[in-house]
Amino acid sequence: MIDLDRVSKQYEKGHPAVDEISLHVDKGEFVFVVGDSGSGKSTLIRLLLKEIEPTGGIITVNGKVLNTMKRSRIPKYRRRIGTVFQDFRLLEEMNVYENVALAMHAVEAPGRVIRERVPEVLQEVGLAGKYKSLPRQLSGGEQQRVAIARAIVNHPKVLLADEPTGNLDPGNSYEIMNLLQEINLNGTTVLVVTHNRDLVNQFRKRVITMRRGAIARDVEQGGYIEA
Amino acid sequence: MKFRSLGYEIRQGFRNIARNRMFSIASIATMTASIFIFGAFFFIIMNVNAVRQDLEQKVGVTVFFEMGTDDSRIEEIGESIRGISHVSEVTFTSAEEAWEQYKSEYLEGNESLAEGFKDNPLANSASYTVLVDRIENQDQVVREIRKIDGVRKVNQSSGAAENLKSFNKLFTYASVAIIVILLIVAVILISNTVSVGISVRKDEIRIMKLIGATDAFVRAPFVVEGILLGVIGSAIPLVILYLTYHVLTTRLLTRFGFMGSMNGVLLDAGTVFSYLVPAALLIGIGIGFFGAVLMIRRHLNV
Repeated sequence: MIDLDRVSKQYEKGHPAVDEISLHVDKGEFVFVVGDSGSGKSTLIRLLLKEIEPTGGIITVNGKVLNTMKRSRIPKYRRRIGTVFQDFRLLEEMNVYENVALAMHAVEAPGRVIRERVPEVLQEVGLAGKYKSLPRQLSGGEQQRVAIARAIVNHPKVLLADEPTGNLDPGNSYEIMNLLQEINLNGTTVLVVTHNRDLVNQFRKRVITMRRGAIARDVEQGGYIEA
Repeated sequence: MKFRSLGYEIRQGFRNIARNRMFSIASIATMTASIFIFGAFFFIIMNVNAVRQDLEQKVGVTVFFEMGTDDSRIEEIGESIRGISHVSEVTFTSAEEAWEQYKSEYLEGNESLAEGFKDNPLANSASYTVLVDRIENQDQVVREIRKIDGVRKVNQSSGAAENLKSFNKLFTYASVAIIVILLIVAVILISNTVSVGISVRKDEIRIMKLIGATDAFVRAPFVVEGILLGVIGSAIPLVILYLTYHVLTTRLLTRFGFMGSMNGVLLDAGTVFSYLVPAALLIGIGIGFFGAVLMIRRHLNV
């Protein structure tokens, strides 16, 4: 599902953020990517979203080679990738329903489908009762649920989560990770970038540890070990 | 972009205006001010132009005939003059009329002086007064008239014509310069306001792009918003200008007697507005549209 072949990303100066990484993630896998800040985790996510271009190597996601993808094909590609961020990135002026519906409007889904699907996915993330609330009226955990609902509403093949629990307390963090696991069980490939040691140790999934832009360790059902 | 998204996009555009109230008010205010100033100058220019044209058409040339030219020949000459291009009006003044006119202009109160003349002293002063459509064409018309058989003399007040001609040139350059400067200032002011408004929302644009929205989808509500702000921002100054102009011209014409002579020369609001409304709307909508498209372009590259 995700293939990186000797991928590098060198920003203007200094050490490369990502240094000749090779990595394979299968369809339906759940992967934690851990490491200190500056280890290249977030760069990895941005590369997978084609927000930035690699300076070397080949990235293939969902059978598509990102390096040669035309700019006009990017929106279509991103629609198959759900993304969740640490800071939620909800639109403050839109209520819960509208934030989730936005993702469906963006893919130009018919109104009838939107009206069916949005309540369904809000139910899935446990926010059916709060569809009219504005983001600022919600707790951090609830806001992240909205972001997750938005990420999965279009049935993505891959879900990328960049520090999804970075702003949440342990209880909410656990809930969110549980939700991501459920989504994974429904067949979506999930890649979670985190430095939340407790959660990683609790969930016993594949753990890829990054250090200074390289993969230091890649273990099935692993734990969080300082690399 | 698909057609079914159109309704959603338009609704979003309207909502954006309401949501970003401060930005909307700032844009509308900037546009109102710019277009108001533009409109005020437009009025002045249009009216000066009207007065100028009126003057231009009053500067005629007078055509006199050879001694002994009979009436039927004079008639023919008149026809020839009418046939010259750019001639807008030809009026005949007979020798008797010329004498009467002379008497009433110069001998008023001393009519006894005129009694000394048994015959019409201006017997050879029958003439045509020829008006030309544009002062620039006067020389050419005069040349044509001189070629006609039986024409003795063509009186041309070339001083007035030259003055008008140089004024025309100056006036054209000045008005084009003023309008261009005003437009540039308006575009700078408005695009500045729009760019501030869009920077604030670059996160929103980024989020939409990351969830797979196309450029067209992201752009559309901003374009709707830009056009709408353009319409409002040009409608407000138009209403203000209309009321101001109406009040001003009626006051001037009714209150002040000396302006009475300008009646019919000053343009009525309807005439000016038939040009100003489309011009202002075009400018407003154009700036709104292109402002949105240009300013959003650099944020779309996500």
